[in-house]
Amino acid sequence: MTDNRTESAPLPWGDGPYSIKRHGTTLTTCDSEPVQTPGCIQAHGALLVVRLGDLKILQASENTGQHLGESPEQLLGQSVARVVGSANEACLREMLGREPLAGSAAYAFTLPAREGKSQLDVCVHTVEGVAVLEFESTGRTAGQVDANFFGLVTSAVSRLQAADGLREFCQRVTDEVRSITGLDRVMVYRFHADNHGEVFAENKREDLHPWLGLHYPESDIPKPAREIYRNLWIRPLPNAAGPLVELVPLANPDSGRPLNMTHCALRGASVMYTQYLANMGVAASLTMPILVDGELWGLIACHHLVPVHFPHQVRAACELLAQVASLQLKSAERNEQLAYRLKLERIHQQLVAIAAQEGDLMALSDRHPSLLDAIDAGGAALYHQERWWCAGITPGVAQLDALAEWLDQRPEFASTTRPAFVTDSLSRDYPAGAEIAGVASGVLAVRVSHRRRDLILWFRPETLQTVNWAGYPHEKLLVTGPHGSRLTPRHSFELFVESVRARAIPWSTMEVDAALRLRFLVMELVISRAERLAELNVDLTSSNEELDAFAYVASHDLKEPLRGINRYAHQLLESAQALNAENRQHVDSLMRLTVRMDSLLDSLLHFARVGRTSLEFETVDLNEAVAEALEMIGVRRTENTCSIDLPRPLPTIQSDHVRVREIFSNLLSNALKYNRQACPRIEVGYLAPDEPGARPNAPAEANEQLIYYVRDDGIGIERRHFDQIFRMFKRLHGRKEFGGGVGAGLTIVQKLVQRHGGRIWLDSTEGVGSTFYFTLPCPNLARS
Amino acid sequence: MTRARHILVVEDSDEDFATVLDAARRAGMTNEIRRATSGDECLRLLHESAPSQDALPGLVLLDLNTPRGDGRDALREIKQDDRLRALPLVVLTTSANPRDLHFCYASGANAYHVKPVQYREHLKILEHIFTYWLKNAVLPN
Repeated sequence: MTDNRTESAPLPWGDGPYSIKRHGTTLTTCDSEPVQTPGCIQAHGALLVVRLGDLKILQASENTGQHLGESPEQLLGQSVARVVGSANEACLREMLGREPLAGSAAYAFTLPAREGKSQLDVCVHTVEGVAVLEFESTGRTAGQVDANFFGLVTSAVSRLQAADGLREFCQRVTDEVRSITGLDRVMVYRFHADNHGEVFAENKREDLHPWLGLHYPESDIPKPAREIYRNLWIRPLPNAAGPLVELVPLANPDSGRPLNMTHCALRGASVMYTQYLANMGVAASLTMPILVDGELWGLIACHHLVPVHFPHQVRAACELLAQVASLQLKSAERNEQLAYRLKLERIHQQLVAIAAQEGDLMALSDRHPSLLDAIDAGGAALYHQERWWCAGITPGVAQLDALAEWLDQRPEFASTTRPAFVTDSLSRDYPAGAEIAGVASGVLAVRVSHRRRDLILWFRPETLQTVNWAGYPHEKLLVTGPHGSRLTPRHSFELFVESVRARAIPWSTMEVDAALRLRFLVMELVISRAERLAELNVDLTSSNEELDAFAYVASHDLKEPLRGINRYAHQLLESAQALNAENRQHVDSLMRLTVRMDSLLDSLLHFARVGRTSLEFETVDLNEAVAEALEMIGVRRTENTCSIDLPRPLPTIQSDHVRVREIFSNLLSNALKYNRQACPRIEVGYLAPDEPGARPNAPAEANEQLIYYVRDDGIGIERRHFDQIFRMFKRLHGRKEFGGGVGAGLTIVQKLVQRHGGRIWLDSTEGVGSTFYFTLPCPNLARS
Repeated sequence: MTRARHILVVEDSDEDFATVLDAARRAGMTNEIRRATSGDECLRLLHESAPSQDALPGLVLLDLNTPRGDGRDALREIKQDDRLRALPLVVLTTSANPRDLHFCYASGANAYHVKPVQYREHLKILEHIFTYWLKNAVLPN
């Protein structure tokens, strides 16, 4: 228990035995106080230490004269029979021989009242080779009948069993304890994982200020005190401010060691504790531990505003209640945890079911229920489809990005068993976490996709900011005690603030398990969606192939009869004598139509292929592409039949060379074709995003991209036709005007531009000219 | 000088076959022209004459999209048969599908031509084929 002693400065009591009376005021820290060997007892009772072998008195409290009629000097070395009588001595011997009395004190007998005094209850227990006898007033005179405490406890226990849920159970514990003890305030005080405590249930005198829901720093019930309650079922302090009396002598003369008083009901209280009670205006206290699996879950803490008497029977009843409460609380808590776990499981499954239905993980954050309805957290965030989806109170997007970046490197995610990052103090590992400590001191993170950085994060705020701290609200109770300010609630609160700064309520194993299960559910969902996508892709690939084959077969089957028609028409012309001029013209038309049909079929086939075959991206010098396009359409820039002007060299970009050349050849050929100028002037250029210059009709996304254009001084296009001209086989002019054509060129250009992730649009004034604009952003290769 | 070998034309369209005959006449060919209307028939004719090398055609003109035994199957079988492999084989089809092109050359076709819709063009291509394969090129035997 005194684990701090090795490091601290020499203690004021040196190697000798400690006594609260002599040394208590020299204490500076709670953790160094030897609370188990205080050397003193409370003055309302007396204590004798007898040697187990011969029952001779080794030590006596200095007040034996007052309670037992003889001073320690008279008693030391004498047989215990001198005090209790030979009959009781025999009884004592019999008890000590029958059962071990080391764990807790047992009631032995009641000494009859001496003159002017009340009867004395005698309790006995053994420790380190001695028997300890404690003498306390029964508080009643001879002939008075004890209350039926056994009956009280039995009915109390049955009422506890009927409680539903942890909170109600604890509430009933306080009800029952208060009804048995009649004390002013009875609380169930629950320890949290970081050892700070909370008033979890309370029953009190009407006029007292409620403390229910208040939180207290860990230092209010320091570690030595918590340790004692793991070995002790009850701790009475009927008069906290009462006098203390020392043992005489302070050390056991046989062993030279101070008496271990852990199980003494009369044990002198820690100066820290009595001062603390005094600061709260409490005169008496009764404390029972609630132990779950040997661990201190909480305390049943009772306060009374005036000194009180705790008869042995009351203590026994409370002790029994505390033991029953401990046993039942375990199952109540398990039930509650089970209910919480089932709730997490149910809501997480609902979430995933909704996500599966909607085909999107976003449902996790913006629907009801949301992530926040399951694991108890202040906020939750999902990183999915390259953005954040948040619920509740979370850090900002930039902070989330930085956190995700940092998390990405964490080894925890590589764990095969528990791939989760869990912390109750983010800034301890992540320095930048300090600025988001308010909302995200606690972080629970799981990664739901390895390839992308998809994450689910839960956040818990700094504990400091979430709970109702005792301390500040009770400043008015502050009285500086004889030991200075160190024991005031305010002081302990300030100490505590330091210890919980940037810390959150820790995540329970169950919560981490639930997060990991959710991760599995989400990954299953993602995998099943990926499988579905893969199936669709296979379907698409095969239907693409079928379409391709269909296009060729269709064109083949359609062309065969065309070829036959053309042949017969030709033969008709050959036998020219049989035809008059008009019929000859008809046959000519027949042949021309077959040729036209042939080119329509070719265009259709070409268009079908443009939409499906994959592009091959490479570094393309657009100046070369334009030069080749001009060559394809049979134009030389140096010719004086037209002028093709490039105001500045075009850039070199990533694109599909053949297709980009086709875009230019189509646009250039149109620019020359729909033109009545003797020497058409055509300009090919581009606009960078930050350059001045009009971008008429440009779609919004094009403002961030290079915009290429082909400008002519041709016939122009009416605004109402701007959309139509991109339609398949749509022609604005007669077949014989402007050199004919099938009306597929712009449709194919549009498709080619779209295959580059770009857009094409135009601006035109009739009789002045047209400008075709397009972008070639060249989509991310990895994604195409 | 031995008698010129015959030409085997695999063609299911009567019009297209008539154009072949027109082109042969215009090119001044004297070779006998035999016709098969399907891939299966083509193989049957070839297998019948295979025992005697002299009975095999001097040139095979193959259309790909024929009924009852696709021209592609016939092509593959001819080029896998030791006795037929050396036959000069020219594919003449409406299909411009790059996949067909690749398949035919990979299977051992000696040339691949696309039939034009226009009669004059069609004639011209056939005349080129005849001139090239029967007059200019040196063939086995």
